[in-house]
Amino acid sequence: MTHLPYVAASYALALVVGAAFAVDAWLRVRRAARRLEAIDPRRNREPRG
Amino acid sequence: MSPASGRSLHRFANPGRFLRISGRVLPFLAVPALVLTLGGLAWGLFVAPADYQQGDAMRIIYIHVPAAWLASGGYLGLAICALLSFVWRHPLADLAAVEIGPVGAAFTALCLATGSLWGKPMWGAWWVWDARLTSVLVLFFLYLGHIALVRAFDEPERGYRAGAILALIGVVNLPIIKFSVDWWNTLHQPSTITVTGAPSMHVDMLWPLLVCVLGFSLGFAAVVTARLRAAVMERRIRGLLLAQAQGS
Amino acid sequence: MSLLRTRKGRRLAVVLLGLMGLGSATGLALMAFSDTLVFFVTPGDMVENPPPAGRSLRLGGLVENGSVVRDRRDGKPVARFRVTDGRAAVDVEFAGILPDLFREGQGVVSLGTLRPDGSFLASEVLAKHDETYMPKEVAEALKKSGQWKPETGQAPPAGTWNTLSPRKSGG
Repeated sequence: MTHLPYVAASYALALVVGAAFAVDAWLRVRRAARRLEAIDPRRNREPRG
Repeated sequence: MSPASGRSLHRFANPGRFLRISGRVLPFLAVPALVLTLGGLAWGLFVAPADYQQGDAMRIIYIHVPAAWLASGGYLGLAICALLSFVWRHPLADLAAVEIGPVGAAFTALCLATGSLWGKPMWGAWWVWDARLTSVLVLFFLYLGHIALVRAFDEPERGYRAGAILALIGVVNLPIIKFSVDWWNTLHQPSTITVTGAPSMHVDMLWPLLVCVLGFSLGFAAVVTARLRAAVMERRIRGLLLAQAQGS
Repeated sequence: MSLLRTRKGRRLAVVLLGLMGLGSATGLALMAFSDTLVFFVTPGDMVENPPPAGRSLRLGGLVENGSVVRDRRDGKPVARFRVTDGRAAVDVEFAGILPDLFREGQGVVSLGTLRPDGSFLASEVLAKHDETYMPKEVAEALKKSGQWKPETGQAPPAGTWNTLSPRKSGG
């Protein structure tokens, strides 16, 4: 494959950026959902999102 | 704008309803996004033919073009949220603008970085100050400015207003990016895929590119939706804690 | 005007007016600075408006077919070629390593100065490629069938070779 380092660096960068944002968003949702469940007085009335 | 349509816009501002709907929609964004992105990238890297002139370096297009599309498309989304926030004071649009900013900035950075990695072996330079590259760099700075501005005030509402104004001002940059390669001599080539003509790209390369564009777009939507869900819950947590503190 | 009767309407009017003003101001500014926003000038531009001697500028165009002479001076590679835009052509001399994509019929942008004899001394040469992407076999088939005229250098219009269904094996 010609110019392999440039192609490999581009793909690696895309995967790292994509994975970082996906994992961050997932962790943030999980943390907020747990926190909300712990303190939300309405948690038995309203279905959790 | 009639009062009725204003009310229907605000129906989606109900945080409980938003969390219910978005929770149901999210898997249908995230799963296809993952499948299409990974599939499209593998297709482009291993199956699609190399270019007759640029060889394998051209495969960077399968990341560069989707990232560029979302850099501009994400900014358009940011500007629409800014309009809803500034004119209709839509509370969900405020949070959406805050959450779109970092994602759009990351895709713009990815577009610039992959462009650099493509430019060095093909053009012979990592960077040139032509109109296309410069206008995309300005877009990146607009994103950074928005990220900083919406977080710069103690009172969140003032940050939303200031951010909305910046986002709306930055909209003038979008047509400049789009048409820079047609209006001025640039080192960057003109668009391959146009509304009017046949794409000047062989179908064996075009299909994986379209799959990547769709996959990246769904991924962008999924990440923004998830971040917005987190933001809505975080706001509710803050509200509850505040109420508890005042109640006790 | 009913738009201005509500606060929402007034805010919408502010946004629309602001965008109109900003848009026209930007448009005017871009038109006024159009000459400095170009990344390079073409040989035709240079003949019409000769730049002052010694001022460094970028010259862009296609490398004329059959014009490239590769040489060595003091052990370093030196290339001479003509850059054309169809209206005029300029001789370019460049000492250094040319980019991989540099070839006859291809776009090129050189940074350098115009010499008194009308030739261009380049200190940096960048290759410019077009927006056409196709596999090697398709390019060769087009050249063999005569649809792709080598003297123009440019690929034929996409509509003549691109089909929207996948290629049969072998292409």
